[in-house]
Amino acid sequence: MVSRPNIHVKSKVAVVGAGITLFRRRMLETPRELAWEAARQALDSAGLTLRDIDCVVIGSAPDAFDGVHMKGEYLADGSGGLFKPTVRVYVGGGTGVFVPIAAWWHVASGLCRTVLAVAEEKMSHARPHPQGVFAYIWDPVLERPLGPNLLWIFALEMRRYMHKCNVSKETIALVSVKNKRNALDHPAAQAAANITVEDVLNSEVLVWPVNRLDVSPVSDGAAALVLASENEARRVTDSPVWIEGVGWTLDNTHWYNRELGYPRYVQYAARMAYKMAGIERPWRDIDFAEPYDPFDYKELHHIEGLMLARPCEAPKLLEEGWFDRSGELPTSPSGGLLGVGNPIAAAGLMKAAELFWQLRYEAGARQVKKPVHRGVAQAWGDLMQAGTVVVMGN
Amino acid sequence: MNAQWSKNPWNVYKFPGRMEVEKYVYTPGLHGLEFAKALKEGRIVGTKCGDTVYVPPTTFCPDMSRGEVAEVLGPWYIESYTIVYESLDGKPLEKPVVIAVIAPEDAEGALVHYVDADPDEVYIGMPVEPVFKPPEERSGNILDILHFKPTAQS
Repeated sequence: MVSRPNIHVKSKVAVVGAGITLFRRRMLETPRELAWEAARQALDSAGLTLRDIDCVVIGSAPDAFDGVHMKGEYLADGSGGLFKPTVRVYVGGGTGVFVPIAAWWHVASGLCRTVLAVAEEKMSHARPHPQGVFAYIWDPVLERPLGPNLLWIFALEMRRYMHKCNVSKETIALVSVKNKRNALDHPAAQAAANITVEDVLNSEVLVWPVNRLDVSPVSDGAAALVLASENEARRVTDSPVWIEGVGWTLDNTHWYNRELGYPRYVQYAARMAYKMAGIERPWRDIDFAEPYDPFDYKELHHIEGLMLARPCEAPKLLEEGWFDRSGELPTSPSGGLLGVGNPIAAAGLMKAAELFWQLRYEAGARQVKKPVHRGVAQAWGDLMQAGTVVVMGN
Repeated sequence: MNAQWSKNPWNVYKFPGRMEVEKYVYTPGLHGLEFAKALKEGRIVGTKCGDTVYVPPTTFCPDMSRGEVAEVLGPWYIESYTIVYESLDGKPLEKPVVIAVIAPEDAEGALVHYVDADPDEVYIGMPVEPVFKPPEERSGNILDILHFKPTAQS
């Protein structure tokens, strides 16, 4: 076992099951039913029933997406959380990876032997567009009067990154090409496609420099994991996937007070997780990664924040095929948010679930070429300020 | 949103905000759709899990297995009730409204609905039955049930 010099835990924590619904623009299921579908699959894959579950952790981003207040409580029956210690966690888009983090401390503390961890988002309820929900994340006095939308801040951040690192749109588009292609092998995928850099550049300009194909789609969906203590994990499976490190940090919510070209919130969260996992050289010790990719440049940004490449080095490595499924350090082998889809909280948990499937060699056609021992998943939330990171190993 | 600001009557600046999501369009879900269809036909359905039927239907059972759509026939009884005298904005209602939790004998769970009865005569345990709109006015909505009314005692 990897030593954890900086932390005392009652039990090592393993992931023993995972489940996912289709990610689609408009699902017929209610949010509760989506949560249930993912939770049931996760239980089945662990060979457990609801009776075997001690505690439940639910993750969902703003209530306003599903249009149901207190979504955690609303989702509780579908998530198997009735009459159990159940809690909902929420750090915006970072929620998906915060779910296994919260589930981890439930088990690591010795409080629960098994946790069902469920993340759900249904983005298709809001009219005219779920984009309107994001209006509430801006300062009502300084920013909202300008009529911002989410694409603005991404566009500003992307432009800053392009300038700081001297990166072209052509290079950034390669991320979209790679992830949408990877997603062709994901059974849940919504936006899988064989596209070219030209397709990205020729797609409609939304908010320059962001084109349509630089962006992940609007999605409904849910994902779930089952976590267990070491004793319990060894009882139910021969191939547990260990959670070796977790980390999370919050940067300033006032986004103009930061260097937009480098995601410090990710770096700090990653440092916390790597320290716990005993990782000193992540670029060497991590075999593959699921960095958060709601926009294509964001994957490069986050690869650098995760210290898997030096600042401004990721675009060059990308061009060399370093991050391909057959590359030195595959990133988003799942297909990521760009390819599989982006039901906010569920998308982050999908990334954590991909670590589980890859580390069990159960990813099928998505399995990366190289042998894998350790992977990292990461998500980001709200106004670029919440970083959540989880490291898993087999 | 325009960058407009105005002065309020107390001479303090205010920055008006506005809801950008104008409305939500919800899906009823899998068994929810069956529930809606049944209402249109003047029936009420629930979800059968093992030997127990649950209403309203939820697709999934308490043990996380998938349930089957099943008919709920009643009879229905008032489990609890309240009487509303004021509207949401505090105006007195012309006629008090009886709201009740109404449980069927042949299923677990209940519906919340209006009861068309004299507030003085309503009691817990009162047998009631659903009154549906005329078929041509139904739209697959909980309001296809106009209200419940006391069952005529024979």
